[in-house]
Amino acid sequence: MLSRIAHVMYELARHIERAENTTRILDVNHRMSLERAYYSDLDVWSPILAISGSREMFDSLYSEISGKNVYDFLLLSEDNPNSVLCCLRFARESARMMREQISEEMWGHLNRMHMELAEVSLEQVVGKGSSNFNYRIQSFCNGWHGLADNTMVHGQAWLFLRLGRFLERGLMTSHILEIKYHLLLPTPDEVGRPLDLHQWQALLRSVSGYEAYRRLHKAKIAPARVIDLLLFSQHFPRSMRFCIGEVANALAGIGANTKAQRQLHVLVEDFLAELSGGKGDLMLAEGIKLHLDAMQLQCEEIHLQIMESYLQPAILLDEKGRELAFGRQAQQQ
Amino acid sequence: MAGLWPNYDASSFFDEMFDAAGKPRPHYRKLYTYLRHAKPDDLTQLQNMADISLLNQGVTFTVYSDARGTEKIFPFDLIPRLLAADEWDHLAKGIRQRLTALNLFLHDLYHGQRILREQVLPTDLVVNSPYFCRAMHGLEVPGGVYVHVSGVDLIRDERGEFMVLEDNLRSPSGVSYLIENRWVMGRVLPEILQQYRVQAIDHYPQMLFDGIASLSGRDTPNVALLTPGVYNSAYFEHTFLASQMGAELVEGQDLIVDQDVLYMKTTAGLVRVDVLYRRVDDDFLDPLEFHPDSMLGVAGIMHAYRAGNLVLANAPGTGVADDKAIYAYTPEIIRFYLDEEPILPIVPTYLCRRQDDLAYVLEHMEEMVVKPTDASGGYGLLVGPHATKEQLEEFRGRIQAEPEHYIAQPVQKLSTHPTLVDDADGRRCLSPRHIDLRPYAVCGMDGDIQVLPGGLTRVALREGSLVVNSSQGGGSKDTWVLYPEEGPSRA
Repeated sequence: MLSRIAHVMYELARHIERAENTTRILDVNHRMSLERAYYSDLDVWSPILAISGSREMFDSLYSEISGKNVYDFLLLSEDNPNSVLCCLRFARESARMMREQISEEMWGHLNRMHMELAEVSLEQVVGKGSSNFNYRIQSFCNGWHGLADNTMVHGQAWLFLRLGRFLERGLMTSHILEIKYHLLLPTPDEVGRPLDLHQWQALLRSVSGYEAYRRLHKAKIAPARVIDLLLFSQHFPRSMRFCIGEVANALAGIGANTKAQRQLHVLVEDFLAELSGGKGDLMLAEGIKLHLDAMQLQCEEIHLQIMESYLQPAILLDEKGRELAFGRQAQQQ
Repeated sequence: MAGLWPNYDASSFFDEMFDAAGKPRPHYRKLYTYLRHAKPDDLTQLQNMADISLLNQGVTFTVYSDARGTEKIFPFDLIPRLLAADEWDHLAKGIRQRLTALNLFLHDLYHGQRILREQVLPTDLVVNSPYFCRAMHGLEVPGGVYVHVSGVDLIRDERGEFMVLEDNLRSPSGVSYLIENRWVMGRVLPEILQQYRVQAIDHYPQMLFDGIASLSGRDTPNVALLTPGVYNSAYFEHTFLASQMGAELVEGQDLIVDQDVLYMKTTAGLVRVDVLYRRVDDDFLDPLEFHPDSMLGVAGIMHAYRAGNLVLANAPGTGVADDKAIYAYTPEIIRFYLDEEPILPIVPTYLCRRQDDLAYVLEHMEEMVVKPTDASGGYGLLVGPHATKEQLEEFRGRIQAEPEHYIAQPVQKLSTHPTLVDDADGRRCLSPRHIDLRPYAVCGMDGDIQVLPGGLTRVALREGSLVVNSSQGGGSKDTWVLYPEEGPSRA
């Protein structure tokens, strides 16, 4: 398929996934802040901005860090291109241009959400309303994934949607885990005490992983095991390993025709092998931040190579390449 | 005639359904019988059904003067327009003759210019036309075909004689409406469609594909359709044709030229494009040759074309042959290249560049239509009888300032057709409205010219209006070309 169209599909999926994960991050924060008695003097909002790397933009738009401002910035801001509003608007505009690539049902689902968002005010999404709103966005996104898998032809366009969805999800899961690193405990002896456990539990719940944890481990919440679930589980659908596995599957379906594409496939396979051997306790011992940074860099590198090999390839023609292109038939979708 | 037909006046113009005595013409009788028994409410309901189905299909166009992106449906009139086999054969023959001559004319203009040397046509008229394309000089186009797709505008005068009004040789739009109209008709009024033997038109995408692909010289050529993008008024048609032809819908940014070969950028690498059906104007096609800041075209595409590695449909520079001033010479052009008399006459045309004609036009502006030579879509023209004093004065000034930019024609008495409208009291009724006809033709290899049996019948929905353009409040009708078994047009 045309690189331009594949690019739109890929970005469309990434924006929807980003919107969902932004609300999940706010959920963690909301749950953690319910226990503020323990650390009322702590700034709970800065970590959120730190993990999304948007502190600078936030400061240029708002005069102070407050719950209301952070909610506005992350959910409804017109100036933040990663706000839920902007992400879903971008997704809707992309879908409108590519109506023939997606199903009628997917278009209707996205268009209705878009119209609903236009009516939402800040008052409805901070404080009491926040859980409801976050849940609404998350169920919209999951409805979208279901429609994509059940109503769309599983061809190239669908594969690029999945590619974008899972790469973004893996990256966002690592960001959600990073919150725990930024939220410092008041004293070192709090480690393993109720407050620490409460934070881990909030983290698990925000990725729909609490029940999964209980089922898999049948044990009390232990940080190393939470990391195992969120990063290294083969079966948990938001774990880094699962997501990179799906990225590999999508790439295998799309196929590799050029050297750059084959290199990308190798990069993803290597990363996946690394994740298959990952251990939570080892990671805690060596420093969680260090490892998360390395993983995020890997995801970033995969994204760049997807861009360079499939979506915006640099055109370098040698004799062999010309010969190939000359006889190649267009793939009809 | 009561009920649906209050005061139907078929006598002032040539009416397609009724003869001068008010009797239905032979091939219209079955439709007339159906309509005589229909109730206004039923027709209103059917009309609503048709509108909803067009809206749901997304059969819309964008209005430029409106805020960006406003989409409207092209108004569709329920009552079909019928053409008997004898009428159609005459038209199809005339269109084939015209296109044969115009392709030869374009080839001559961009090569030896015999027609200019023999002074059949004034040289300055050709070389000063904004559509005369110097980059085409000496370029051998595949199969000698310049005009691959055309949509000639035809009108019928008060005697029922078909005349050519415009040739539309650049990339005429509207063919998707024609196909959708038939499809809607089949859903809304199947009982009447089934009573007639009507020639099919839904094979147009295949016809177009075969015609342009035949010129590439490759067995399985890759065909792509170049669109200016989603904000173009005809974007719907571009997506429609691309998907129906199985062609890739591309924008300029998807294409690249390397060593005189055109490629599209796909996720599987570069894929060669052999045939490009482009819906981007000449000026924007290649920033290296035309508009240097065009983002819609492809740098170097004219090199690929010149090297013979690409079929471009339509060829650049065809606009010179549908220039409104050169139109006046088309009968001469047909005689010059084919040594035949034109089958279809043209409307008498006064060129303001000629002293005598200018004097006549200024004298008779109130009864003429004045058109700029280089505009289309019904923009910028003056309809004398409907113009105010100020408008007439304004045009008089413009014509005198730049006489060579204007032509004038006597106001044509376009034929009328029963059309479903609301009368002054808001009641649904059938009333005569002016119509024209735009049949589409595709020129392929070895002089093969296919005329699609049908056409877009455009109807001026405002009472008395003679302007049928969709941008000026026009609508369309489904057009049925009947098989010979349905009988002749005149008893």
